[in-house]
Amino acid sequence: MNILSLAAKNLFRYRKRTIITASALTFGLVAYIYMDSLLQGAEIESERNYRQYEIGDGRLAHRDYWEEHEKLPLDVPIEDPAPLLEQLEAAGIRATPRTHFNAELIVYQDPFPEDGALYAQIFGIDPRSNNQVFALEESLVEGRFVQAGDDGVVLGGWLAEDLGAQVGYPLTISTRTRLGYRQTIDTEVVGILNCPNPYINRSAVLMALDRVDEYLQMEGAVTEISLVSLSEADEVALGRLVENRSDLVYLNFAILAEDYLALAEAKSGGSGIMLLILFVIAAVGISNTMLMTILERTPEIGMLRAFGMSDRRIALLVISEAAGIGFLGAVAGITLGALLNIQLVSSGIDYSTWLRESDFGYRIATRFRGTWSIQTFINAFFTAIFLAIVTAIFPVRRMLKKLSITDCLRSS
Amino acid sequence: MIQLRNLKKDYVSGKTTVAALRGVSLQIKQGEFLSVAGPSGSGKTTLLNIIGCIDKPTSGALSINGQEVAGLNKKQSAELRRHAIGFVFQSFNLIPVLTAYENVAISLTLLGHKGSDVKKQVSQMFAEVGLVNEMHRRPAELSGGQQQRVAIARALIKKPTLVLADEPTANLDSTNGEAILQLMAALNKSHDTTFIFSTHDKMVMDFAQRLVMMHDGSISSDTTKK
Repeated sequence: MNILSLAAKNLFRYRKRTIITASALTFGLVAYIYMDSLLQGAEIESERNYRQYEIGDGRLAHRDYWEEHEKLPLDVPIEDPAPLLEQLEAAGIRATPRTHFNAELIVYQDPFPEDGALYAQIFGIDPRSNNQVFALEESLVEGRFVQAGDDGVVLGGWLAEDLGAQVGYPLTISTRTRLGYRQTIDTEVVGILNCPNPYINRSAVLMALDRVDEYLQMEGAVTEISLVSLSEADEVALGRLVENRSDLVYLNFAILAEDYLALAEAKSGGSGIMLLILFVIAAVGISNTMLMTILERTPEIGMLRAFGMSDRRIALLVISEAAGIGFLGAVAGITLGALLNIQLVSSGIDYSTWLRESDFGYRIATRFRGTWSIQTFINAFFTAIFLAIVTAIFPVRRMLKKLSITDCLRSS
Repeated sequence: MIQLRNLKKDYVSGKTTVAALRGVSLQIKQGEFLSVAGPSGSGKTTLLNIIGCIDKPTSGALSINGQEVAGLNKKQSAELRRHAIGFVFQSFNLIPVLTAYENVAISLTLLGHKGSDVKKQVSQMFAEVGLVNEMHRRPAELSGGQQQRVAIARALIKKPTLVLADEPTANLDSTNGEAILQLMAALNKSHDTTFIFSTHDKMVMDFAQRLVMMHDGSISSDTTKK
């Protein structure tokens, strides 16, 4: 009769208690697996949507532009981008020029439901190279995409909804030129897109870059060149290009999405605290159960001590039982967590109503989907066992320290 | 040989000190069948606990087989108990999840015995206590008398020099109590193990070869049957 076998028998003997305690762990683990999957999935999808619909994998911009990028200035653009684009193409780097600016959209009753104005962000895009970097055209749900030399615009789906716009409706854009003069552009809605990036859906207007160039008197300059999937070789080639153009700076994804990444980290930290609280609750439950188990078996422990079993082996016996509970809780938690995660990965949770109304920072427009992470399952498994062991150590040590053998025997 | 020299034990509770033993001196030879008797609170359980090395005296000296016990640390005390001392408790204290066989085998396991050696010794012990057919039953499936036999088997399986039994018949009816005493007496003779048991039962006192009467923490009489 070794310690492990005795521990296993004890677990079976108090099977109700074992099940209840393991269930507390299972609950904590399921919550951890589910939340972690949701958060990781949200981060992966957010980053993908950020890259594919909003900023690409990196960007070239004027050195002074980035300092004021939040204002979307037009007076510090990349002058004469054509040779640069040729060099990028020669280096095998996929790139597209863009001019990004603020504007006011003005609409009038008939055909719109009412008169009004809305602020929006206009992206002057190069229809020929845009698809090399962005997946915007794929999310077109109505009409057609922007074409070169065309005054038509494509609206984000939610923006079109807010304006009451439909394909074929006229739209007036009020903005300022590069030199600061007021400019009014009469355009027509030629397409509406509905992409998984809420920022684009909510406020983006796409327009042909050559028309933007003309209206804003950019004289061939653009505010940015967006790049995609930079390999190490691409980075080296890009480094050489930027060396020759001291007016330019290369901004990678971490810099471009700095605010989002900080927010994601903060959210992840907050969720971590929530999970910690969940685990503390589970730990208190286990600790309480272990304490009850120990108190109930005090005479039995007294007998073992009287027969010469060392306190270390008695502690090992109780800890083995706790580890057994942890193991059962871990297996159940991982199984249940995996089952729930199947649904979370395949269907996800529809937050479209909330995401439509508010900006949570995530670049997800409709469904939050989970992801599979082996690391999470491994962490969950060992955390459960570790937690069960740690919470058992305190009561057993306390009992062995506070109660003498005669106290233990007397309690019978 | 067990020697007690002027053993004293005080229990302190707050500002109150209760003297459980007030200078007990005793010499017990190997193989004696000794009963410590006396009313409740006379100090007999305390005396047994100290002899069994599960409690320490406040002062005085105790030696078992020539080994001074008072100075032993926790680990050494456990080692001594594991090898040399067996216990029989009033409420049997069998482990409910284990079978009678496993309850007895645990004593040998603690000494590091394994496999067929354990099986052989345990089976032999069950034959001696007359429970061969009940070996694989759990304690809940045994009568009080049978449970106490298992407890005696557990105490004796490791061949200790000393068995301490604290009121071993208190939870048994008179028939079972007498049977247990007869078993202990028989084993005392066949194993040459010293038996010390506490009691306040007249029938048990009559069974003892030597009777030590205690009163208020002191030995009031010490008689040996001829």
